[in-house]
Amino acid sequence: MKKTLKLYLLTMTNITTTGVTLNIKSCRTKFAHRFVRSLLQIRNHAPPSSSSSSEEKLIQKRRQRIKIAAYLSMAHAVGPRMNWSRALLFKLRNRACRHRKKRRIVVIRRRTKKASRSSQGSVPVDQAKKLRRLVPGAKSMDLCSLLEETAHYITCLSTQIKVMQALADHLSK
Amino acid sequence: MDPPLIHESSFSAANPSAYSLAEIWPFSGEPGGSGGGLGLRMGSLGGLGDSSVNRDGSLEESTVTEQSGGGGGRKRRDVSSEDESSKLVSTSSASGLKDSSGKRMKLAGSQNENGGSKAEVEESSAAGDNKPAEQSTKPSEPPKQDFIHVRARRGQATDSHSLAERARREKISERMKLLQDLVPGCNKVIGKALVLDEIINYIQSLQHQVEFLSMKLEAVNSRMNMNPTIEAFPSKDLGAQPFDGAGLLFGSHTPREYAQGSHPEWLHMQVGSSFERAT
Repeated sequence: MKKTLKLYLLTMTNITTTGVTLNIKSCRTKFAHRFVRSLLQIRNHAPPSSSSSSEEKLIQKRRQRIKIAAYLSMAHAVGPRMNWSRALLFKLRNRACRHRKKRRIVVIRRRTKKASRSSQGSVPVDQAKKLRRLVPGAKSMDLCSLLEETAHYITCLSTQIKVMQALADHLSK
Repeated sequence: MDPPLIHESSFSAANPSAYSLAEIWPFSGEPGGSGGGLGLRMGSLGGLGDSSVNRDGSLEESTVTEQSGGGGGRKRRDVSSEDESSKLVSTSSASGLKDSSGKRMKLAGSQNENGGSKAEVEESSAAGDNKPAEQSTKPSEPPKQDFIHVRARRGQATDSHSLAERARREKISERMKLLQDLVPGCNKVIGKALVLDEIINYIQSLQHQVEFLSMKLEAVNSRMNMNPTIEAFPSKDLGAQPFDGAGLLFGSHTPREYAQGSHPEWLHMQVGSSFERAT
């Protein structure tokens, strides 16, 4: 099963890379490999037959796990050279820790939010704020690097979506 | 007293090129005059007809690019960026002056044709007038690559703060153009705020799509897990056949899943916040 998936992935990455730079291509293959691996892990770890009471909860949980795996594998594929991927990796790695220390971290977050708000001052302020909320790790950036990171993030998200779409299409055949 | 020093040094660096210019120039008719001094050379330039200048444009540019190693790369960038007055500016760069003074030289040379001494006078006055601009652009000289783009046009402020601000704004607009190319349907939108709105919407839609695809993949993945025929999954193309039965079995199941679980979080979802809520 795994082998077939990998084979499929290889063919897919060969086929669908048109009109993007070589960097994105390598990014895409890396992301696809990681994502498939984590999908297999999720499938193997999941209980074979769910209990009737918490069916919906389980589904929700699995969904979250897949989404997180997608983002995480994208961030891994990009590596630590971009700011957003670093922030995403940090955030997702510390999820387990945050589970325990939830309150403390919430307090700290409020403080940082206030600080960042006071330091913001750029041309279209509202839109920049919204953008900062959307792009991970963009809370403490100047406008130039924010736009650069946004561009990179958009390309990576679109490649991620393409790969996920192809996987879903293939698996649901 | 820095600018005069610069001029002297650049003169000494540019002098050989001036001679070479004179040697290459077959049309000038008075090649001996150009050896006398820069002012005389510029005067001879002014003395030429416009057609001959246009003919010699390529020659001049080639000489300038040859000597640009000594005179600094920024001058060459100036030449490439300015299309109209590039030829005359290139001559001025050979003599180590700023472009504005070069333009002035052009005017002076074209107006009074005889003017060897007059061109000299003009040159000295241009250098004197050009001092404030020179001083303002002086601090950013060591990184020569940055120096090129920061140029005050006529009527623009020339202190270092406004220059830096202008450079930053240019950088931002560059990035905005890049983003506009990335986001589909964003090229027709005018105005930074609207473009940013469009970008934000696009990112949100992408994140929604990720959410939706993760839902889809979850359904498929769990279905494959429940399905006992996974081990009999022969190859990527033939894999459709065992799954047809599964699709029949679970066909009624999967849409219900979407309908059940998706809506409450689906409506107001962002990646960061949904991750926080997941914990």
